[in-house]
Amino acid sequence: MALVKIENVSIERGGRTVVSNFSATLEPGKITAIIGPNGCGKSSLVGALAGDIAVSAGAIFFGDRNLAELSDQEQSQMRSVVQQSRNYWLSYTAREVIEMGQSEDSLDRVDEVMNALDIKRYADQRVTTLSGGEAQRIEIARALIRDSEVYLFDEPLSAQDSASKVRIINYMKSLAKEGKTVLVIAHIDKDALTWCDQIIDTLAK
Amino acid sequence: MKRLVPLILAIPVLSLVALSLGAADVDQLTRYLFNPFFDTQSPSHQIIWEIRAPRIAAALLVGAALGVAGSLAQSSTNNPLADPAILGTSAGASLGVLLGVLTNVVTIGSVGSVICAAVGALAATLLTFSLARSALQLITIGIGVSAILNAIVGLTITAISRPDARSISFWSFGSLSLVTEKNIAIVAPVLIIGSIFAWKIAPRLDLLSLGDSSVRHMGYSAYRIRLAAFAVLATLVAVTVSTVGSIAFLALAAPHIARYLCGPRNRNLVIFAGVIGALILLIADTASRSLLPPYELPIGLLTSLLGAPILIATLKRSGDVWR
Repeated sequence: MALVKIENVSIERGGRTVVSNFSATLEPGKITAIIGPNGCGKSSLVGALAGDIAVSAGAIFFGDRNLAELSDQEQSQMRSVVQQSRNYWLSYTAREVIEMGQSEDSLDRVDEVMNALDIKRYADQRVTTLSGGEAQRIEIARALIRDSEVYLFDEPLSAQDSASKVRIINYMKSLAKEGKTVLVIAHIDKDALTWCDQIIDTLAK
Repeated sequence: MKRLVPLILAIPVLSLVALSLGAADVDQLTRYLFNPFFDTQSPSHQIIWEIRAPRIAAALLVGAALGVAGSLAQSSTNNPLADPAILGTSAGASLGVLLGVLTNVVTIGSVGSVICAAVGALAATLLTFSLARSALQLITIGIGVSAILNAIVGLTITAISRPDARSISFWSFGSLSLVTEKNIAIVAPVLIIGSIFAWKIAPRLDLLSLGDSSVRHMGYSAYRIRLAAFAVLATLVAVTVSTVGSIAFLALAAPHIARYLCGPRNRNLVIFAGVIGALILLIADTASRSLLPPYELPIGLLTSLLGAPILIATLKRSGDVWR
């Protein structure tokens, strides 16, 4: 169980302060959404939580450990990151992409996650031929088959149809039920996020 | 993988054809070909087994090494345009050998020249590597590093007036004519070990296609994976450049043709690109020495002329996606 604490965090990018003095607590067993319009620093925040971007002030704690002091390897064991969907130039199959670099334990979960996200039917299709939503589900699956305490989702629903949204949301709920800490970044209305336990509006600074 | 069988079978067949072709006519060709110990003192025996055979072996080894190096270059930079010639590797190897030869420390094709090439290739590749901050910058900065080093090599060759200048300049455009059995004894083990290393790190290279941040999120270091790939590719290129000079285009084309046949997985890619590189260089070299005897055509032009149409055809056939 890992409590994620964001304490007075500021993030600068290219000389501009994109997040200033932001604090929040993400609790285990709960789904937290961070919402806000484009350019309000949501992605920078998820970048900081993923360890991609250094904070310019404040600190992020996973449990009692300061993120800045954890190695890449230690970070990877604690959290799993879903990035926004990507473009592929190499025609790996969907299954090949999901299985790349995964541990034996993670590989055991591939089929279960593929079924839950309805990926099985295009598992052997080349990723270069997939639609945006299908490719995004591959990204989500890559993160979900990894067992970690914290899951960070950057805009996971942006390209999904309603049936897929329900599947993904249900999976997040089941993660929360297992005691995982789930964070979702979204730029949709609060009204559409009734399935979240906590909503943080970054504009309300 | 079953597509590999005809390619592998083509190697001995084309090698026999290559043994039988050349500037000198050989009587009783088949007897020499099928019995390496037939009439060992005759000129025909020497032509076939002491001149042509080492050269064919070199074409196969160097072609395979360039194919493998090209697939490492493209996979490690995650870019279909990469090849050792634009990462600075080839130019660095050329400059290393050139400096070694001009300072009379080594002669072309010697063990010393392989070391000079290796030092030059590694130094230039690591320079590109240390200056670049992203996969894309590896390409753009590599092009810059290559341009500088190639300019230095070109100016030096133009400026010097030495009896061996002609052979240096001929070699700088690539040629297999200076290959001897001794070269091959040096080159073969390095190329084979390098290719095995490439095969070993191949699964990690697949991971790089997801982008550096995804690699990091999974607890791997894109930097380390790339460093390993660059070390192997620089070694492979160094050895080829020191033996036969810079051969154009092969390292770019072979991985693309290979991907068309076997898909993008690096374990397969390394093998296919190696075999395809070997075949293209063997055909190009055989053509270079037998089309207009006794003249020898520049090998780099023939690899381009042979490789480019195959490359274009495979890309056209795979539609608008990279394979």
